[in-house]
Amino acid sequence: MIKRTYDWIDERLNITPLWRDIADHDVPAHVNPANRMSSFVYCFGGLTFLMIVTQILSGMFLSMYYVPDINNAWYSVQYITNEVLLGQVVRGMHFWGASLVIIMMFLHMLRVFFTGAYKAPREMNWVVGVLIFVIVLAFGFTGYLLPWDQKAYWATSVGANLANTVPLIGPYLKSLLAGGSTIGALTLTRFFAIHVFFLPAALLVLLGLHFVMIRKAGIAGPM
Amino acid sequence: MSAEDPRQKIPGVPRHRREFKALADGREPFFPNFLLKEWIAGAVFLAGFMLWVIYNPVILGPKADPTDTTFIPVPDWYFLFLFQFLKYFPGPDIILPGVVIPVIAILLMMFVPWLDRSKSRRPFRRPLATASMMLFIFMSIWLTAEAWGQHEVEIGAGVAQASSSNGLPFAVQHPTSKALLNTSMPGYTIFQQNCAGCHGSQLEGSVGPELRGIGNVATAQQLLPVVTKGFSPMMPPGGGLSDPKQLQSVVDWLAQQKQH
Repeated sequence: MIKRTYDWIDERLNITPLWRDIADHDVPAHVNPANRMSSFVYCFGGLTFLMIVTQILSGMFLSMYYVPDINNAWYSVQYITNEVLLGQVVRGMHFWGASLVIIMMFLHMLRVFFTGAYKAPREMNWVVGVLIFVIVLAFGFTGYLLPWDQKAYWATSVGANLANTVPLIGPYLKSLLAGGSTIGALTLTRFFAIHVFFLPAALLVLLGLHFVMIRKAGIAGPM
Repeated sequence: MSAEDPRQKIPGVPRHRREFKALADGREPFFPNFLLKEWIAGAVFLAGFMLWVIYNPVILGPKADPTDTTFIPVPDWYFLFLFQFLKYFPGPDIILPGVVIPVIAILLMMFVPWLDRSKSRRPFRRPLATASMMLFIFMSIWLTAEAWGQHEVEIGAGVAQASSSNGLPFAVQHPTSKALLNTSMPGYTIFQQNCAGCHGSQLEGSVGPELRGIGNVATAQQLLPVVTKGFSPMMPPGGGLSDPKQLQSVVDWLAQQKQH
């Protein structure tokens, strides 16, 4: 039944080459920890992606309860933590997962750096990787404000005041970031929109490029 | 559709997989062979992660209170190195660690493939690249540790336990008259050079609080110890001034700012 359904779709859309290309490409021996345990350093990129997937999933569930409004944001996070079934766990996954994404991404970057894997023909992939790093840090910065607790508020104030120090455009940059002259209701909705719409869109595009490029150029050979 | 039977099996469809024998050079196909092994690593990693999450519940701090400036700001740990870096550049120089240096660092990072053009990929055959990255890692870890240590001390000592709305031990009313007073005093010049970057050249405040009308609520004698101590982490002791005479001039001038 499943086979016949597959064939029916495949006859019409020819989907087989799409996934066979991914399935059949050979993974070289030097990146396979099954051959040599020290190859586990090549897992960091995949684990970063795994953590990003769990971040997306836990974030989707958190957004069912979270309210991006200065009167209710803190109470909604409190509700998630104390009342919602497994809310503490899902919030914990999103909170600790954020740190883990950054740790794994940093380790992945160090592996790429110290094995010189960014050299030709993979320069563009390195640049995209650095952009992903910046996007992930922006995720961390915007997400930190959302619980609307004291820590969140005052850390964001420091960030907004830093933007203000830029010559000429500083005040504009600050109001672009904060949505006004002070950290308040507009900042929270703005950071929420950036955190759940703008940055994920940018991240998915960049990750797509990152993966397409590594398939095109292949994993760097043994040193 | 061609004249051929559309259901004719072509190589590559799932039921006609090519025979995978273990290749002599150790390569193996991504799916399913490698992915299954990778998934084991992922599953172990996730299990460890979930255990950590369950045994380390996240604590929600008190609700944000924009009027309570005594709260000592602290970013998440991965921004601590940058936060610590800010402390070494008081006053208007804060733009260096806050904006200029991070932007340069990101640009340098992006252009690594063009900066390190050596053919060799081995870390020891390209000492400059390796040494730069080691230095960066070392500095990041050191700054993070330093920031964390200082934050612990501040929390413990309750340094910023001032009570008023500006983090000062006395409340500043926001006066309607905005003109600076006694700008011929030497303290005015020193203030403009060293303090105006944060408190504003018209005392209107930016990174630091507004100081208009400070003379209404505090005397030079009261201001001196406050300025000398500074407000960690944003304002260094003495506002970055080390000369006691200069410090005295500044507080003398500030005490004259009795705008209403």
